[in-house]
Parts: sequence; structure tokens; C-alpha cells
Amino acid sequence: MNIVVCIKQVPDTPNIRIDRERMTIIRDGVESIINPLDRIALEAALDLKQKEGGKISVLTMGPSQSEEALREALAAGADEAILLTDPGFAGADTLATSKVIASAISRMDPFPDLILCGKQTIDSDTGHVGPQLAEELNLPQVCGVTEIHVEMNALVVKQLSDGFQNTYRVSFPALLTVSQGLNVPRHIPLGDLEQAFLDGRVLRWGLKELDLRPEEVGFSGSATTVVRLYRPPQKRKGEVVSGSSQTLAEHLIAKLVSLSILDEDEAE
Amino acid sequence: MKTKQNSDPSTQAAASGRGPSLGMGSQGKETPLGVALSGAERRRRETKWVHRALPAGTHWEGVWVFGDYRNYFQNRVTLQLIAKGNQLARKLGADMTVLVLGSQIHQYAMEYTAHGADVVMVVDHPSLKNYQVETYVRVVSQLVQNFKPEIFLAGATAFGREFFPRLAKRLNTGLSADCVALEIDRSKRLLIQTTPAFGGELLADIITPEHRPQMATVHPGVFVERIHDREATARILYPEVDIEAEERVQLIRSRPEQSRKGGLEEADVVIVGGKGLGSKENFQMLFELARLLGGEVGATRPVILSGWTEESRLLGQTGKNVKPKLLITAGTSGAVQYTTGIHGAETIIAINRDPHAPIFKMADLGLVGDAKTVLSLLLEKLRKRL
Repeated sequence: MNIVVCIKQVPDTPNIRIDRERMTIIRDGVESIINPLDRIALEAALDLKQKEGGKISVLTMGPSQSEEALREALAAGADEAILLTDPGFAGADTLATSKVIASAISRMDPFPDLILCGKQTIDSDTGHVGPQLAEELNLPQVCGVTEIHVEMNALVVKQLSDGFQNTYRVSFPALLTVSQGLNVPRHIPLGDLEQAFLDGRVLRWGLKELDLRPEEVGFSGSATTVVRLYRPPQKRKGEVVSGSSQTLAEHLIAKLVSLSILDEDEAE
Repeated sequence: MKTKQNSDPSTQAAASGRGPSLGMGSQGKETPLGVALSGAERRRRETKWVHRALPAGTHWEGVWVFGDYRNYFQNRVTLQLIAKGNQLARKLGADMTVLVLGSQIHQYAMEYTAHGADVVMVVDHPSLKNYQVETYVRVVSQLVQNFKPEIFLAGATAFGREFFPRLAKRLNTGLSADCVALEIDRSKRLLIQTTPAFGGELLADIITPEHRPQMATVHPGVFVERIHDREATARILYPEVDIEAEERVQLIRSRPEQSRKGGLEEADVVIVGGKGLGSKENFQMLFELARLLGGEVGATRPVILSGWTEESRLLGQTGKNVKPKLLITAGTSGAVQYTTGIHGAETIIAINRDPHAPIFKMADLGLVGDAKTVLSLLLEKLRKRL
């Protein structure tokens, strides 16, 4: 079974800085990780490969830096890594992003049997790219799967959706997005990581290789525009207290009393 | 399987109630629902009706809401969207239409009318009984292309978030996810869509300047539904549409998820431990604390990876979201993957040694100190009262 796993590199920090000119997040100098649900997608692919054989290709669209995420995926056991990168891809919404990724996948020979994505990312959190890729590639889709089985040349998957547990049979080729609970991603040994950063091979495809026109991708290929990016009004009180452990415990108990979680006499 | 919706006028009259038919639209048939309209209201509606009778495809106008009636009494997001959609439509001087797909769904047309729809568009067919993304995309994309609404909203339910992206792609238009606010820029006739990013750390205002419709999924619970008004009226429309069921994805089974009452997601008090607690033994202390405070214990990813407790206690992006009255978070620095799971807490108390830990930014009370020692002192106090 040939599997493509779509991953995204996301910032691993709650201290997000905003570029107010470009209405984007500043990603320079920020530590990054593979989006956690994409790691689960990769793990599912590794698991399926072990049972069914085949090849795993990992794909990401992003700046040069996102090559790190691909190398990490190679270290985890992916066979091939492709970085979709081009200055023209910048500023893409999910419509334009799915265009680029679909174009890359449709170029693969043979066409993959299965495409896996995380259900959503921790940064923009839309969950759009999976289903939009499925649409662009005219594939059947199931989002947020919690179990994947291969039975009689079809996929049998489970999904928790709006209070129902649904079981579907899906014909190949197909696209699935994965949810938490599907698996626990393996720990990647440091040695394997070092190896992947030393001599792992990452292919780079841009506008030219994908035969796309600049107006189809990036900012110009996007239907939506971010007009303002801002911190929501702070609703927390944000009172911070320092002192001895005894003082802190007293503050804590006073707070519990004020919330009626402890009675006053109990706190005496 | 490819069939047309049955549009036998006699079935429509029976389903939609009293009154003479107002006439035929270019896209189908309409009949009024409910009791007589007030004079002004009738004029407004009838004027609109004339407008609607224009050939389809002249320009994009009107607000649509996708009517998701599953689990009707608990899932109120469609009703919330009807109320909001109605406001938006008034600002645009346009109609608010609820689109409802399914099999034997006439009762929902009545409900949506009572909750404030101007028009309910019904596609009733056995093939539409189960919510199936691809089948629904085929039907709804035809309707959007024919009727050209300028705005189209759906609840950010699991189905909405699976269905709307694919629909937006087929229609080649923009979509924003899980909106928490919607406004109209009247001068440009644009929908301003406010969506959270980084688990609510940031908000983004998004517009869809040129593509139509302007599509958004909306977070349940941010808008307030209208009171059920049985005097309300709406036009019921049965559009003609090709219905072709998807066969590549087959539903084998669908059963209600076993609801586990109690547990982390329902707890009033949640105590979360992070790696800053130092050891598995220190983490164990949280269980006694939770028991004495009548709460549950949660954990961050690093704690799970260290094997201090089981995976089912994981909070955040790859774990559970909690909404207790009180959350105490001890020895957690505040990584986004974790904090996305605790935004719903009413009060957050954070204990951490590092005064610069980001967790303090989202706490109501921050205690700068050793979490283990502070919690031990609290535990002593609680034990004494027994």
C-alpha cells in the first residue's frame, strides 16, 4: 500500500508574536514541531506499512525551515520526503494550499492508495486541508478517524462524530484525517534523528516542478484574506503572587474559600 | 443512483400547512406556511418574493444556513445561526434561508420557521437520510450555484467541519473555521468572520473579498437562538435538484457514543500536573487532593510520556478539553498543545516556579513557587478537616 502523509510544521510555543504588517505569525527563531495530529497520521501510516507493505511518502508545504519536520518523519520511518516550497506559495489560505498539495500528489506515480492527514493543526486549527484535498483529487473522505483496518481490499474506519460512533467502508484510493486516540506516536531515537538530518533526502518541488501558475497559489490563489490578527480581550484576572510556600498556600486556600470550594471554617 | 426530488405539489401543500400557493419560482415551488401575515410583513415578504422569482444566477444575494436537525433538542447551533443569520440578512436587506436535507423532514421546516427563517428550502429524499459528505456536497453545490446566496453558514459540528470545507472547495470559494463572531461591513457588503487561532490565543478577522458565497462554520453556543414563535411564517421551497448518492463511502453502522457520565470532561474541579512536579510520587499526591476537593486529575503530554499516569488523563490538543469551575494547574509551563484544552475553565489557578512561565498569562491567580510544596500544604489542611 502506498501512503502519502501530509504534515505541517507548527510553532511549539504559547508566546506567539504577531507580524502586524503581514497579518501572520512570526515563525523565525521559534521552536517548531510536527503538528501533533500529523504525528498520529504518520504513525498510522507506519503501522499500515508494517502490516500491508508498501511505501510512505511525507509531504509538507512551507518555507525551507519546514524541511526539519520532513527529516523528523524520515527518522520515524518514512521512505520519501517532499518539500513543497516556493516564494509564490506564501500567504495561502486552505483553498490555495490544497491546490498545491493536490497537484503534488497527482504527480506521484503510482497514485497513492491512501492519503492521511491530521484532523486539524494547533496553529490555524481549520481542519480544511484534508477534505479540500479529497475534493481536489476527487477521492472519498472520512474525517477524524479513531480506527483504521484493511479488509477485503477496502478500508474499514471508525469515526466519532457529533455523539455517534460511525463505521464506514471506504474504497481505495481514499483520504482520511485522523483524530486523537488512534495511536500513540513512537519515540524517535536521537541517533535516527541525527542520521536523518545528516543524510536523509528531501525532494523540493516549487511552482515550476508542479507546473502551477502563480495566480493559482499563495496569496493570489486564496479566497480569504486576514484583515486583522489580535489577542482576544483578556478575561482572566492575571493576579500573580510570589512569596514563601506558606504564603502561597494561604493565597490558594483563600481563593478556594472565595470560590466556595472550601468553607471558611475548614480553612481556619 | 441518480434521481430527482419528487416535487408533487399535493404533498407539499399537505406538509407545509394552510394558505394558497403564492406561485412558482424559477427554481421550484413555494407555499406559505403558518397563519396570516401582518400587512407590512406581507408586503415585505411579497416584495421579496417577486425578487426571488427573477431568473437565478443574476447576482449573489441572501443569507443561507445549513439546517442540521440531528439530535434536535441538544444541538441548538442551527437555531443559533438562524437568529444570527436573520440579523445579518436584515443588515443586507435580504432573506434568510435555511436549507434542510434529509428524508421525512417536514417537521424541521416548521421548527426553523418558528425560529425565524424567511425561507426554508427542503430537499427530501430517501438517499439523504444519512448525513454523507459527498452526497450532500453534490446536492448543496447545485443549489448554491442556482440560487447564489452571498453568505452561507453552518454549525462547526464534526459534520459541519467535514462537509463545509469540501463544499467550499467545489464552489471555489473561501471558508473560515469555527467562527466566534460575525459582522457585516455594510459599505462593502462583506461578512467579517472572526475565528480563533492557536486554541484561542489569537483571533483573526477574515473576509472573502471576491469569491461567493462567503462561507463560515460557527462555534456552537456563541449566538443565542430566538424564542419559538408559532405565529411566525416562512416560505417553503422545494427546489429541483439531481440527487446522486455517494457509493465510495458506505456507512456500515452508526450508534450513539457511550456517554461516560462524570469523568474529567464533566468534573467541577480539575487538578492538572505537569513535569514541574518533579516525580511520579509527587504526581500521585494530586489524586488525593482531587478526591478531597471532589474533582478529577488531568495531565500534560510530557507527564504521559514519562508514564506518571494513563493517557486518558491527557488534556489539550491531542487529549481532552475540560470546562470545570476551578482548574488548578501545577508545574505546567503552558504549552499551547496543553492550554487549548483548558480555555473553558471558569477559574484557573497556576502554580509554577518560573515567574515567566506562559501559564501565568492565562491564570486568574498565579502562585510563583514550588508546586509540590504548596500543594502538600493544602493537602495537610484538607486532611485535618476530616
